Amino acid sequence: MTSKMKNVLLAATVVAAPFMMATSAAAEGETYILVSHAPDSDSWWNTIKNGIALAGEQVGANVEYRNPPTGDIADMARIIEQAAASNPDGIITTLADFDVLKGPITAAVDQGIDVIIMNTGTPEQAREVGALMYVGQPEYDAGYAAGLRAKGEGVTNFLCVNHAIQQPTVGERCRGYADGLGVELGNSMMDSGTDPAEIKNKVLAYLSANPDVDGILTLGPVSADPTIAALEENGMAGDIHFGTFDLGEEIVRGIKDDIINWGIDQQPFLQAYMPVVILANWDRYGVLPGNNINSGPGFVTKDGLAKVEEFAGEYR
Amino acid sequence: MAEPIIRMKNIEKHFGSVIALAGVSVDVHAGECHCLLGDNGAGKSTFIKTMSGVHKPTKGEIIFEGKPLDFADPRDAIAAGIATVHQHLAMIPLMSVSRNFFMGNEPIKKRFGMSFFDHEYANDVTMREMKQMGINLRGPDQAVGTLSGGERQTVAIARAVHFGAKVLILDEPTSALGVRQTANVLATVDKVRKQGIAVVFITHNVRHAMAVGDRFTVLNRGKTFGTASKGEITPEELQDMMAGGQELAVLEGSLGGTV
Amino acid sequence: MADTSQVDERIKDISPLRRALIRPELGGIVGTVAVFTLFLLFAFDSGMFNSQGVMNWSTVSAQFMIIAVGACLLMIAGEFDLSVGSMIGFAGMMIAVFGVVLAWPMWMAIIITFVICVALGALNGWIVVRTGLPSFIVTLAFLFILRGFTIYIPQTIENKTIIGGIRDAAEGDWLAWLFGGKIGQPLFQWLGEAGVIAVFERGSRAGEPVVDGIPMLIVWAIALVIFGHILLTRTRFGNWVFAAGGDADAARNSGVPVSRVKILMFMFTAFCATVLAVCQVMEFGSAGADRGLLKEFEAIIAVVIGGALLTGGYGSVIGAALGALIFGVVQQGLFFAGVESSLFRVFLGVILLFAVILNTYIRRIITGER
Repeated sequence: MTSKMKNVLLAATVVAAPFMMATSAAAEGETYILVSHAPDSDSWWNTIKNGIALAGEQVGANVEYRNPPTGDIADMARIIEQAAASNPDGIITTLADFDVLKGPITAAVDQGIDVIIMNTGTPEQAREVGALMYVGQPEYDAGYAAGLRAKGEGVTNFLCVNHAIQQPTVGERCRGYADGLGVELGNSMMDSGTDPAEIKNKVLAYLSANPDVDGILTLGPVSADPTIAALEENGMAGDIHFGTFDLGEEIVRGIKDDIINWGIDQQPFLQAYMPVVILANWDRYGVLPGNNINSGPGFVTKDGLAKVEEFAGEYR
Repeated sequence: MAEPIIRMKNIEKHFGSVIALAGVSVDVHAGECHCLLGDNGAGKSTFIKTMSGVHKPTKGEIIFEGKPLDFADPRDAIAAGIATVHQHLAMIPLMSVSRNFFMGNEPIKKRFGMSFFDHEYANDVTMREMKQMGINLRGPDQAVGTLSGGERQTVAIARAVHFGAKVLILDEPTSALGVRQTANVLATVDKVRKQGIAVVFITHNVRHAMAVGDRFTVLNRGKTFGTASKGEITPEELQDMMAGGQELAVLEGSLGGTV
Repeated sequence: MADTSQVDERIKDISPLRRALIRPELGGIVGTVAVFTLFLLFAFDSGMFNSQGVMNWSTVSAQFMIIAVGACLLMIAGEFDLSVGSMIGFAGMMIAVFGVVLAWPMWMAIIITFVICVALGALNGWIVVRTGLPSFIVTLAFLFILRGFTIYIPQTIENKTIIGGIRDAAEGDWLAWLFGGKIGQPLFQWLGEAGVIAVFERGSRAGEPVVDGIPMLIVWAIALVIFGHILLTRTRFGNWVFAAGGDADAARNSGVPVSRVKILMFMFTAFCATVLAVCQVMEFGSAGADRGLLKEFEAIIAVVIGGALLTGGYGSVIGAALGALIFGVVQQGLFFAGVESSLFRVFLGVILLFAVILNTYIRRIITGER
C-alpha cells in the first residue's frame, strides 16, 4: 500500500509540474495570443514563434503561440474560441479558411477583443471580420512592387513561371508584376506544372521561341530551381534578369552566383513582430497605424544574404 | 429397460483416407451416466462431435428420442437438447457469472416497447442454480475469472441443464483439475444424472469414470470393445482395454501395477 | 459431498475498495475529479470557468465523446478502427460535394452521406470478419484510402482542397439544424440579460450573450453516450458485445452471432464519425481535406483512459465519456493555465501510460491472474 501511495504522489507531482512552471512564469502586462493554422511539423512557423517572443519581451507583454497540432482548421476555430474565452487583450491570427474562421473571429471582436489578421487572408477579409488591420504580403502588391523594381532594372518583356496555376492568389503575383512593368500580362504567364524536368524544358522552349524576353519571374522554389537549371543549360544564366518569390537553398545559391537578381521575402518575422508591437501601443496609448502593413516584399539581394544565412530559421 | 434417449448405430467417420471411427455403437439412457473411455487418439473427440452435430457420420445412424436425426450444425443439436461442455469452456473470464450463464440466451423484458436484458431475472436464476450446484457466489456480478477450474465446469454444466439439455456431453471435464475440484465436478455430474438427464462422460481416467459411471464403453483405435455395466467390470480390466491389452501387461510389470 | 466443501476458505471477502476498483469507470471518475481539482486550483481566474470557457471545453470534450462512444463499443467487441479520423474528413467532404457542388437539398446530402459512410464501416467490418486479419491493419488501409479520396475528389472537381458555402446551402434545412443548430437560446438570452453570463460589447450582436445556446454537437454527444451505455449494459446485444470481445470462440459456441455483432459495431463507429463530421461542417460551413487528422487515436486514448481494455471484452461507455471529458478539459485547460501547448502531448502520454497500467492491474484483479 505504501508503494502505491508513493506512486500516486509521484503521479501528482508529474501532473502538477507544468502548472507550477506556468504560474511562476506569468508576468504583469497585456496578453496577446497568436493562433496559427500550421501543424506542429511546419518549421516555417518557428520564425513566427521567435518573432512574437522577441516582441513580447521588448514591449513587456505576455505572448502565446497556439496552433492545431495536425493543422486541422476546425480545431483552429476551437482554439480561437478558447483564446477568446480567456479574455486576452488581443488575438493575432490567420484567415486560413474564411468560412470556418469568420464566426469565431467575429465573435471575439464583438466580445471586445482586438484582432489583427496576419499572413493568410486579404485586407478585405480582415475588414469583414472586424480586425484592426492586416499584416502580411498581399500577393498583387508584392508582384507590383517587384514589377516596378524590375522596370527600373531594365526589364521590358518578361516570362512568369507559375507552378500553381490552380491557386488564383498566386497568379496575382504575375498580374501585379506585369502592371508594375507597365506591360500587358498577355501570354507571359506560363502554366509550368510542378514536375522539375517539365518546368525546365518548358522554360527552355519558351526562351528560344521568344528571344526578346529579358526578364523572368518565378513564384517559389518549385519553379525557381528548375529555371536556374534551364538558364545554366542555355547559357543565359547571369545574362537575363531573374527575380523570384520566396527563399530556398537553391535560390540563395542562385543569388550568390549572380544568376538571380533578387528573391522576394514575405518576412514572416514582421508578420509576428509587428502585430504585437501595434497591439501594445494601441492598448497603452491608443495609437494605430492608419493602414494595413505589408510585411513583404522584402527584396533579398547579394548584399543582404549574410543576414539571411545568419538568421535562417530563427528570424528569417 | 426403457428405450434409450440416444442411440448411435455403427457410426463410421472417415477424414479423407483416415478412418477415425470404424463402426461404433453406443446408446445412452435418460438418467444414466455413460462413460466413454479411451486413450488419446482413440476417436473420443470425433465420436462426441458426431453426436453433437459438428461432424456428419460417413456411415451409420443416430436415433434421438426414437427418431433418426440429421443435424445441419451444432445449433440444431443444442436446440434438440444435446449440449456439450467443452474441455476448453465456453466461458468468458472477464464477464460476470450471470452474464456468462445467459450468454446467447439472454432473458428479455419489455420496457416502452423495447427489449432489455432482464438482469434481475438473470441474477436470481444464476444465484439459485449456483446454490443448487453447491457454489456460493459473492454475487451474480462476480467475474468467471475468479472461479476455480472446477467451479467453471460446474457453471457450464448448470447452464446446459438450465437451458433444457436432455443429453449432456462432458468432454474431459476433470482432466485439468486437482483432486478436490475433481470431486466437486463428479458430485455435480451425480446431481445432474439424478435429475433424469443422460450424461455422456468422456475421460481417460478410469477412477473418475468408476466414481460416477453407470455403464462404460471403451474406444480404441476407432472401434469399441463393447459396453459394460457397473459391477460387471473392474478398473484394471477397463485400463487394459483402453491401452489395447497386451502392451499394458508388459508395462504394468515394469511399473509394479501402479498405472 | 456436502455443500460446505464448496466454500473455499481461501477466497477472502472482497474489500469495498477492491470492489470499486474493478468497475471500469473508476479510472475515469478519479481522473475527472483530479483534473477538475487541478484546473480549479491553477486556472480558476483564467476564463476557463466562465460561460465561454465552459462552453469551449464542453464542445471539445463532446467532439471526443461522439467518436469515443463508437470506438469504445468496438473495442469492447474486440476490434479497432483506425479509419475514424479519415472517415470524419471523408464524410465532411461528401456533404460538401453533394450539398454544394451538386447542389442537392442538404437533408438529402446528409442522408446519402450517412448511408455511404455506414456502408464503408460495414465493409471494414466485413473484411475483418471474413479474412480474420487484425482490424488494426484493415482499418489502417482504410485510413489511407479514405484520406486519399478526401483529397482527390475536391481537387478533381473544384481544383481545391477546401469546399466552402455549406452554411449557406444548409440555410433553413430541417435536418441540417439537427446537427448544426443550437438549443436553449431563450434561456441563455435570459441569463445574459440577468447578467449571469457576459454579453457582446460591440458589433452587430451587441447585447446578445456570448454563449447563446447549447450546440447540437453536445446534445448528440450526450444522446450517444446514453444510447451506448444502455445498449451495452441493459440489452441482450450488449451481452453479445462483451462476449464477442471477451472470447470470440467461446461466444460462438454459446450461439452468439459474433460476426454480425462485430460488423454492426464497425458500422456504429462509422456512424459516430459521420455525426461528428456533419456537426462540424454545419457549424463551420466548409469541408477540408485535412479534417479529422489523428482523431482515431484521440478516440482510442479517450476509451483507454475510460478504463476499457485494449484486448477487448471489458470497458464502459460512461468511462469512455469521462475519458473524453478528461481529454478535452486537459487539452483546453492547459492553455487556460498558461502552459506551453507542446507540453500537452507530454501530458497526454503520461495520462495514457497511467491509464493502461491501471487497466492491466484491474484486469488481473478481475481474472484472478497473478
